[in-house]
Amino acid sequence: MPRAKAGEEASRKAVRYSAFYGGKVATTPKVPIRSLDDFSIWYTPGVAAVSKMIQRDVELSFEYTNRWNSIAIITDGSRVLGLGKIGPEAALPVMEGKSLIYKYLGGVDAFPLPIRVADVEKFVETVSSLEPALGGINLEDTESPKCFEILERLRGQMNIPVWHDDQQGTAGVILAAIYNSLELTEREIGETRITLLGSGAANISAVRLLGEAGADKKKMIVVDSKGILHPEREDMDQLLLRNRWKYEVALATNGGRVRGGLEEALKGADVLVAAAAPGPHLVKKREVAGMARRAIVFLLANPVPEMWPSDAIAAGAEIVATGRSDFPNQVNNSILFPAIFRGALDVRARTITDGMVIAAAREIARFAKDKGLTPKRIIPTMLDWEVYPRVAATVGVKAQEEGEARKRASKLELGRHAREIIERSRKTLRILLEKRIIPPPPR
Amino acid sequence: MREHREAMEEISVREATREDVEEAANLVVRMKKLNNEFDPLFTVVDDAPERAQSYLSKSLGSKSALVLVAVKGKRVVGVLRAEVRERNFYKPTVGGNITDFYILPEHRRKALGNTMLERASKALQKLGAQVVTAEFPARNEIAVKFYSKRNFRALTNIYAESRE
Repeated sequence: MPRAKAGEEASRKAVRYSAFYGGKVATTPKVPIRSLDDFSIWYTPGVAAVSKMIQRDVELSFEYTNRWNSIAIITDGSRVLGLGKIGPEAALPVMEGKSLIYKYLGGVDAFPLPIRVADVEKFVETVSSLEPALGGINLEDTESPKCFEILERLRGQMNIPVWHDDQQGTAGVILAAIYNSLELTEREIGETRITLLGSGAANISAVRLLGEAGADKKKMIVVDSKGILHPEREDMDQLLLRNRWKYEVALATNGGRVRGGLEEALKGADVLVAAAAPGPHLVKKREVAGMARRAIVFLLANPVPEMWPSDAIAAGAEIVATGRSDFPNQVNNSILFPAIFRGALDVRARTITDGMVIAAAREIARFAKDKGLTPKRIIPTMLDWEVYPRVAATVGVKAQEEGEARKRASKLELGRHAREIIERSRKTLRILLEKRIIPPPPR
Repeated sequence: MREHREAMEEISVREATREDVEEAANLVVRMKKLNNEFDPLFTVVDDAPERAQSYLSKSLGSKSALVLVAVKGKRVVGVLRAEVRERNFYKPTVGGNITDFYILPEHRRKALGNTMLERASKALQKLGAQVVTAEFPARNEIAVKFYSKRNFRALTNIYAESRE
C-alpha cells in the first residue's frame, strides 16, 4: 500500500477503534478478590494498618503500594505531535497511546494526565503536588521554551525522576544512533562535526547530551529558521530573555563562527541531525552533497522527513535515519523511554541524569551492534523487545553509581526483574486477547 | 587557525577613537533594541545606526563625555558612554552619568563589565564627578541586576503614560 494511503487507513481505524474500545488503557486489579471479605484486607479496615506504617515512613509507599511502578504522563496540550496547541482534552488520546507503549514495552503503569494550566508557575505547582502518588513524571508535548523551564524547576524540587521525553528521550535516542553511525563510518565522537537543523526541545537537548557524551560543542552548528546560530547574531539578547537555553547553545557551539544558512553549516559536516519541520524539501540535495565523505543524515520530522531518504542517499549520504517506521533506521523515543523508566523505577531513582541517558544510549547501540550493524540497521526497532530489560538494567546500575538510587541491586537482578515485569505485561495482554476479554477490533 | 588566534587574544579597555565609532555604534543599537525587549516605549527608530554613530562622534569631541570601548584584536566587543552633568540643586553638585553600556554576549560573565565600570568611574571622577549614576529603562531587569549587585541604588524615577 502506498505510504499516503496507509496513513489515511491508520487514521480511519484510529477513530473507529477508539470509539469501539472507549480509549486504550484502564486500571486493573493486581490482587485476588475471592469474596467480599477480601475488601476488608485491601480496603477498610485492613488498609488503615498499611497507611499507618507509611505515615511513619513515607518511603514505604514505594513498597506497600503501586507507587514503585507508577508514573504520570503529563501535558498541557500546547505542542502535541505535529498538531500544535490542541489543548489537554485533545492531547488525551496521544497520552493514552504513550501509556500503552509504557505498559507493553516497559511494564510501567503510566497514567495519561493532560492538565489545564495557564502558565509555568501553575504547571510546576500542579505537577509537583502529584509526587506522593508517583515514582516518576513523564512530561510530554509541551511547547518550547516553556518546557525547558518546567523541566528544570521540577527536576530541582521533586524527589522522583522528572523526564521530558521530547528533550531527553529524543536526545538519548539520537545519541544511540550516532554511536553506531560513527562506528560504521569509523569516526571518533570528539572529532565529529555535527550540524543540527532545528532548535526546539530535541536539538537543544541533543547539543547538551552529545557534549556530555564527548562531542565537541565547538564543532557543532545549530541552524534555525533565521540561519546559523552564533554568539553575535542580532537576536541574541532576545534569546537571552525569551529562551536562555538556546542562548547558551549559541554561545557554546559554532567555534568556527560559521555564518549563513544550512548550506554553509553543512559544508564538510560529518553528521546532520534534522529535527525541524515536516519536509520533504527543507533539506536540499546540494546541501547534503556538501557534507563530508560517508555522511550521516538523520531526518526526524514527522510525518514527512525534512527530505526523502532516497534523496539523501542520492546526494551521497551513507547512513540515513528518519522518525518513521516505514523507512530503515527509525530514530524514535519509544526505543528508550520504556526502558529508562523501567530502570529508574526498579532502583527507586530520585532523578534521571544525563549519565543515565548516555548509559542507556550506549546499551541500545551495543544491542544493535550485537545483532549486526549495517547502514540500514543502526538502531533496534520496537520489535526487539529484549532491548528493554537490557537497557533498564544498565540504567538501574548507573543510577546506583551516581548515587541517585534508593534501592540497590546487581545488573543481573535488575535485568531479570525487568524482563519478568515486561514479559508479564506482554503475557497479560496476550491472555486478554486470547480470552477475548479484549475483543478483536470491529471489521 | 584564525579563530584560535582570536581566542588567545586579550581584551583591552581603552578610550574610543574615530575608528571605533562604526562598530561601537552597532553595539549601542543592540543595547537600544534590548531596551525595547523590556518596554514598548523604547521602540527603536529605523535610522538608529546613523543616529548612534553621530551621537558617539559628538561624544568623542566633547570634554564632558566619555566613550570607552573593550577591544579584542581589532574588534570592538563592548562600549560604555557616559557624560558629566551639573546637579543644579543638589550636592554633590557634579555627577557622572552612564548613558549606554553594552557588551557582546560571548564576552559577558568574564568580569569585563566590572573592568569597564571601574575604568569609567575613575575617568568620570577625573572629569569632576563626585557621584556615578547609570541611566536605563526601569524595566531592564538585566541592568537593574547588574548595578544593584555593584551597590548602585535607584535614584530617580521617570513615569510615563503613552498617549498614542
